[in-house]
Amino acid sequence: MAVNVKVGLIGALDMLKFKNMSKVREAAIQAAPAKEITADYPINQKAKALHPDYQKLVVSKIINHTGAGAKTFVLESADDSPLAYFRAGQYLSLKLKLGDSVLSRPYSISSAPKDALAGRYELTVRANPGGFAADRLLEDAKVGDIFFASAPQGNFYYEELRDPKNILALAGGSGITPFLSMARAIIDGTEDFNLTILFGSRTEDQILFKGELAELTRNDKIHVIHVLSDEEKPGFEHGFLTAELVNKYAPEDYSLFICGPEAMYRFLDAELEKLALPRKNVRRELLGVTKNIAAHPEFPASAKGMSYTITVRQGPRETAVSAIAEEPILVALERAGLTVPSRCRSGECGWCRSKVIAGEFFVPPENESRRYADKTSGYIHPCATFPLSDMVLEVPGEYVGE
Amino acid sequence: MSKQYDIVVVGAGNAGLSAALHCASEGKKVLLIEQHNLPGGCATSFVRGRFEFEPSLHELCDIGTAEDPGEIRQMMEEYGVKVDWKPVPDCFRIISQYTDGSPMDVTMPSGKEAFIEQMEVYVPGSRAKMEEYFELLEETMAGTAYISASNGHADSKVLKEKFPNLLRTGSYPVKKVWDAIKLPKKCQDIMSTYWGYLGVDMTRMAFIHYCNMFMKYVTRAAYIPAHTSHEISNAMVERFRELGGEFWFNCRAEEFLFNGDRLCGVKTSMGVVECKYALANINPDIIYAKMMPKELVPEREKKLSAARNHNYSARMYTVYVGLNKTAEELGIHDYCIFLAGTSDSAKEYRDILGGYETNNFTIFLCNNIANPQASPPGTSVGFFTSMGNAEEWGDLSQEDYVALKNKYAKKFIRLLKERAGIDIAPYIEEICVASPWTFARYLGTPEGSVYGFETAEWDGMMARMMMLGSDYPIKGLRPIGAAGPRGDGYSSAYVCGRLMARLALKDLREEGGEH
Repeated sequence: MAVNVKVGLIGALDMLKFKNMSKVREAAIQAAPAKEITADYPINQKAKALHPDYQKLVVSKIINHTGAGAKTFVLESADDSPLAYFRAGQYLSLKLKLGDSVLSRPYSISSAPKDALAGRYELTVRANPGGFAADRLLEDAKVGDIFFASAPQGNFYYEELRDPKNILALAGGSGITPFLSMARAIIDGTEDFNLTILFGSRTEDQILFKGELAELTRNDKIHVIHVLSDEEKPGFEHGFLTAELVNKYAPEDYSLFICGPEAMYRFLDAELEKLALPRKNVRRELLGVTKNIAAHPEFPASAKGMSYTITVRQGPRETAVSAIAEEPILVALERAGLTVPSRCRSGECGWCRSKVIAGEFFVPPENESRRYADKTSGYIHPCATFPLSDMVLEVPGEYVGE
Repeated sequence: MSKQYDIVVVGAGNAGLSAALHCASEGKKVLLIEQHNLPGGCATSFVRGRFEFEPSLHELCDIGTAEDPGEIRQMMEEYGVKVDWKPVPDCFRIISQYTDGSPMDVTMPSGKEAFIEQMEVYVPGSRAKMEEYFELLEETMAGTAYISASNGHADSKVLKEKFPNLLRTGSYPVKKVWDAIKLPKKCQDIMSTYWGYLGVDMTRMAFIHYCNMFMKYVTRAAYIPAHTSHEISNAMVERFRELGGEFWFNCRAEEFLFNGDRLCGVKTSMGVVECKYALANINPDIIYAKMMPKELVPEREKKLSAARNHNYSARMYTVYVGLNKTAEELGIHDYCIFLAGTSDSAKEYRDILGGYETNNFTIFLCNNIANPQASPPGTSVGFFTSMGNAEEWGDLSQEDYVALKNKYAKKFIRLLKERAGIDIAPYIEEICVASPWTFARYLGTPEGSVYGFETAEWDGMMARMMMLGSDYPIKGLRPIGAAGPRGDGYSSAYVCGRLMARLALKDLREEGGEH
């Protein structure tokens, strides 16, 4: 028999209180004023300002880096929205409309986070072989042009909770840009760590931001060592960025941050093995996707040269898109003029996560960052997935301005 | 041009997924839209480096074994959703202080007998009282089950005869009941541990609500999915598709459309969709303030909102850590360690809401203890949870945001080291901090709260359940989720989604019958 519980002095009357719960609640409701309901919350507004769906930017200035084959685009808000703040090392994904295609490209922000609060981002774009989007930007973009950009993205930043105080950066070519932002953030007090940059360029003339970097190294937390691969000159290191060079300049207890072109990442794989650093001490910026996928040892030989049709469902719309085996699915969608979400274009961020309803595909293992359950139930990141048959694909919508 | 559906479910949080599955199971033409490109809301995951992180789930309390399934395991089976459930060893470890100021470091096992047995070790002489207490809990559980099954038409005679103690205790706060039955203070302190899971302290939490959750954890043990809560959400989506449901990701509902005073569609970022009914996994304050014509908001709803006065619960703060050592190597032996300043939940709650200086409350969870495969060999993965203060995070500038996030993270990492002797700092390979801003961003909930409105005092779960017929009287639109009648938590949201979907289908049948 259950215990006979008495609460206070009321004994059996308690039961009425239970029955009356709804009356008590109704009385509390009726006692309140029937005023207009509001739902404006500072926390939500600030989260939105930090992570807007998109940013409408206008090119306010273009700086020519002659010799380095690059330009810096100074971007400001085109619609009075404040620019989203960011962490030094993050990137913006720019939406570019080229002919009938709408494509995106991630560019590291080279300006300091504080500049965003002052209403300015800087992106530096360099010509690269086969760099379709970069070429168009360098040749065609002019002051006054409007671009839609993502909110700042990416995890390539110094994190005091994880990283030692010393960062050794390996930068190749335009891979200097996130480190430039970090150096600027150190100087203005936003960040607090020591940054040593081993910066690989072909020749002295082609060094990006040579003057700016020299200026920045007047701060004793910042060191830059230029490494030239294509010419011998006194006062420079020479060759590629090697383990030997890292060891020569490495401070005690450091993390390696790496940003550069595909060839540099490939070369560094063997060098990193020699360094045998714990994984926690090695950060790589977006790897991109292997350009010559047909040469990938795991890519099925039978797929070479094949073309397919991908039926794309996006909300209420269905579109048939032609694709080829050697190109990431995302590229096919963009070429067809579809506006689809994408950010990192390296398989990492999952922004383009889509559902394969039917069809075969190939994901290069070096670009595999999918969730476990996604791998087992046919979700892919189209930016780093290649079609191996006709496919039916469901892709998410994309929030973008007019 | 627009498409037509029987039901549009807005928001694929736990309640939205459950509601969509129920409607699709009943053969309805259902569209589920979600503003992100992932399902689940809180029940999701993210990948950093070689780790996949569980963002929110500590443990599910109503799974039970395959032989003796709990309500949620049963529900998932009925839906045809397959999840690889892993049992969680023990109920909890709590390192805190008893209300008398003496130190507390207690690990409680699951299982009624084991729980009572262990309580006797910590509080000698408590056995008889604890046994009595469990009798009361069992009666309360049975009575609640009877009320739930009666769909708001419980027979008061049956209640009086069979569940008199439910009636006596049910409307009181936990603390009052504990004091009335003279439960030893130390037992009370230990059993207060779960309060954070509901976000209401023991002086204001309805006994009946707490009792239900407590009993499920203790007697049925807790479970987690093998591959983060994204496994659950994803499996629900896949089943929903199999049943013919349509799902649009990255599609935001902008406005509910009405024909007269009856809902007729939803304006979305992908166009207008026509429907007979909408189930909105959205806080009702946001629906009323932002998503429908003001003149259609009933007076009583304005009063209800005013009475609640934006009293949202659990503005979440979490730190996710991927560690390059195993749990064993780090000396982590407990799945869930509650680190609290005091076991006086009312004081603790005030201290949490007081902000950084006074908040000493965090729950540290290591997924590998329940599931060795939670991270790659040689590593471990886990997270800290706490709650934030609306002003502290609301007044914060963009520039100071990372600093405040990291200040809290450092404090909680230090607390773990000081109180539990577990030093994770040198082994952090990946770390990610989510603040109320982050939850606001991903969930769209007011102030990044995850528990809806506080289920306290006059607005408790049972009172809400009793008034199902009075709240939210919009024709063709029902809000679902943590702000709903069942309150917060994964299980409550799943149950709420199904309950509201049932009511929606009933509404549709009744409306259909009028023609």
